[in-house]
Amino acid sequence: MNAFQDILILVVVAPGFVFAVFALLWLLDWVPTERLLSWITGLTFATCTSGVAVLVWKIASASNITVAFGNWFAVGGYHFPLVLMVDRLSVPFLALAAVLSGLIAQFSATYLHRESGFVRFFLLLHLFAFGSLLAFAAGSFDLLAAGWEIVGITSVLLIGFFERRPAPVQNGLYVFGIYRACDIGLLLGIFSMHHWAGTASFTGGFPTLTGARAVIICLLLLLAASGKAAQVPFSGWLPRAMEGPTPSSAIFYGAISIHAGAYLLLRAQPLLAQSRLASALVILIGAITAIHGTIVGRASADAKTSLAYATLTQVGIIFIEIGLGWRWLALAHILGNATVRTMQYLRAPSMLHDYHQMQSAVGGELSPTGTQIEETLPERVQLWLYRWALDRGHLDTILERWVIGPLLQVSAYLSRRDRARTLSTTTVRPDRPAPVSVAGPAQGGD
Amino acid sequence: MTVPGWVFRSPVLTGASVAAPWLAALVVTSSRRQVRLVGCVGAFFSITASTVLVWRAPQGESLYETLMLLFSCLTLAAILLLPRRDAEAGNMAGILVLLGSTLLAYSTGNLFVLLGAWILSILPFLWTSWLRSRKWRPLVALLSSSLAIALAVGFMVARTGVSSISHLKGQSPGGVAAFTLLIVAAIFRKGIIPAQAWVADATESGPLVPAALLLNGHFGALLVVKLIVPLFPETDRLFPVLSYLAIATAVLVAIRALAENSPRRLLAFLALSQSACILSGLESRTAEGITGALVHWVVVAVSTVGLFGILRLLEVRFGENLSASKHLGLAEHAPRLAVSFVILGLALVGLPGTLGFCSLDLLIQGTLTTHPLTGLLLPIATAMNAVSFFRLFSRLFLGKRRTGFTVMADALPRERWILAGIVLFVVLGGLFPNATVIEHSSEVDVVDEAVRTLDNLNRAPGYSDNNLSMNARHLHLTTTSMEAPEVEHAQQRPTGVQR
Repeated sequence: MNAFQDILILVVVAPGFVFAVFALLWLLDWVPTERLLSWITGLTFATCTSGVAVLVWKIASASNITVAFGNWFAVGGYHFPLVLMVDRLSVPFLALAAVLSGLIAQFSATYLHRESGFVRFFLLLHLFAFGSLLAFAAGSFDLLAAGWEIVGITSVLLIGFFERRPAPVQNGLYVFGIYRACDIGLLLGIFSMHHWAGTASFTGGFPTLTGARAVIICLLLLLAASGKAAQVPFSGWLPRAMEGPTPSSAIFYGAISIHAGAYLLLRAQPLLAQSRLASALVILIGAITAIHGTIVGRASADAKTSLAYATLTQVGIIFIEIGLGWRWLALAHILGNATVRTMQYLRAPSMLHDYHQMQSAVGGELSPTGTQIEETLPERVQLWLYRWALDRGHLDTILERWVIGPLLQVSAYLSRRDRARTLSTTTVRPDRPAPVSVAGPAQGGD
Repeated sequence: MTVPGWVFRSPVLTGASVAAPWLAALVVTSSRRQVRLVGCVGAFFSITASTVLVWRAPQGESLYETLMLLFSCLTLAAILLLPRRDAEAGNMAGILVLLGSTLLAYSTGNLFVLLGAWILSILPFLWTSWLRSRKWRPLVALLSSSLAIALAVGFMVARTGVSSISHLKGQSPGGVAAFTLLIVAAIFRKGIIPAQAWVADATESGPLVPAALLLNGHFGALLVVKLIVPLFPETDRLFPVLSYLAIATAVLVAIRALAENSPRRLLAFLALSQSACILSGLESRTAEGITGALVHWVVVAVSTVGLFGILRLLEVRFGENLSASKHLGLAEHAPRLAVSFVILGLALVGLPGTLGFCSLDLLIQGTLTTHPLTGLLLPIATAMNAVSFFRLFSRLFLGKRRTGFTVMADALPRERWILAGIVLFVVLGGLFPNATVIEHSSEVDVVDEAVRTLDNLNRAPGYSDNNLSMNARHLHLTTTSMEAPEVEHAQQRPTGVQR
């Protein structure tokens, strides 16, 4: 194993190791001070960033760096390869994850000072960094899925960071539901690769698949990518995710997590290129999302939601670029969008202050810039679009009415049947106390 | 001082592991003093004996010994997690009887002993006041399963005159009648559709931790592993029915859990839905599916005992009428219980980095291979379970801080160390699955039996080439220790092998 392989392992493992050590110590009743945690976090991400810089330098002259640890587990004809790989596609994402995680950590040390969840935030940031670095450095879709799931769960836990308010907690649950539903696509896609190609590893070239099999796998991966990237019809979770602390919104929904879907599609590009149907669908979803994002974003009242929809619009365009096969343009677009949005998110809490300062400087109201394109539409259409945008394209309503609602109805029906039978046949012996119900008064409905 | 050689003989060690908890139960019942200490000593003896059994077991034949060790450790953990108000003589004796009978069922090779252990394991639920409200479904299910297995054993012994399981392998003793009765026993004991409702009733109306141990003996799955797969290779047309029922249970119970607000029932639904997957994996007859099922067995057992234990600790601290209909905000009072709860719950539904991820990965892979369409439902059920679990977690632990309590203790040191151990097991098991469980599970004779069954199945007329080649591909075992002649036979089969 050469030095570059060691560095790659260090970059991926370091945040996970810090998370594991601090989490275990916390579980055993030891709480680190803010200063210690910030210092170690800074050191960790400085190490990761330096390591990624070395990898970038190496990748400029080599095609890729691969570290194979054998199989994580292997049974029968199935194996889960534990292989890390850095190539020209993944190294920009690694750089993005390492640098932005470090910046966010530094920002948060001040932003969350004396916040009751300070330690929790930093531990989850480490876990997120580990998950994202693992996903981007994975040499197989199996390992990518592991990192992908870790990013998802940390995202949800950070949305519910302010756990005393019900809204963040409920929104976290909603996002978790969408993530889990869409991740089924990723899991089934990987199973299909194993089943049809015998492997889901892409270190030795992409699994050879053609025809209907390629289309099915592409569509399954597209489902996963759409969920993670909040593409239509799954866009409803993105504004809900803004309930988390601003630094986590910046790195998750401005930079890393929201672009992970695009990374998945870029990684699956050789397969996507073989399927016109899947490519067309990627373009279609991207276009619809871009239009949806720009319309809804214009009617958003708060800064973070507005930024979220601006990001969404760009990600939609990135999907179009991927569908058209413009791989490197999409990559450049991702890097630009991620860095700009992170900066904008971090500035969002002080935006009012900035405006006040600017207005004081110019001595009055700032003049509006240019004309909005929607003003060219007839007034009736504008009104309709405004209503449509206020309800965020009715996406949440459709999802709740056609998916969540029926499921809950079936569940409530089963619950009623269950309880009716229990109550009608439950007997209490006279020599015993009445049954103690541990259930709350409102069973069978939510 | 040297230890006599006879101490290390398997019958002696097995007898010690079974007798120790029963003796402890007797001591607890008669003296009613130092109940927890006596319980721990009984469980500790079982752990020691099981550990030596695992250590001395031949390579690749340590499945039941490993399960004995697992269940002994789980029981010790449960005894230590038990709140003081639950650690009274009746509860402890019941737990110890359950431990002894479960170990006996795992270790025995005799049909009558298995039947006796089966019945003994449900005795505490029949004679004590455990099922307080006398709900009919747990009693009916447990008694029906006992009756079914008793009849099945009767059929098998009456037809063959043999009660040794090893002598009956591959003979289909008792024919379709015995097979059907065994399936019925597995369905009732495991809580498979249409007998799924008793599990939630038992956890709701009974003592939580002992009920968790009863469910995690996984006697239904044991029946499949120990009797149905090795003894009935000819019943390949009927066996998949069990898998379909198990998958239907996983999905239906997952849907049922979505609107449940009682934490006890909700956890029971999650445990049932996830453990139903075990049967579908065992039935898949692929090395991946069977290994995944066995590892998932471990995951479900460890995580649900931890989850039920934490829930009981919460009930003791915050009142028995906890409900998931509103946010209770208990994380501020009990952050370590909250963290342990979320890790164990996410392990149960397959979070990466935990053992649950490996087990579900293998299990779904195996099931999809054998049943491509119905197998699709397993990831969907798992996703719904994940949502239900996260909902339960967020309702119990997140939200506005609950007021009205005076002194709220987070996990006590005793509970903290046990929970840390359980969490470490599922996490380290997930990080190093080969070093912990899969190494053992992939070697077990159960896989051999499945291979043998499949060989018979492949020889049967009318079996499609497509299925044959698909199964043959999955039986092209790469695990180094799989050296059974049947495996070599499967590897050498030239026709239709697709790589």
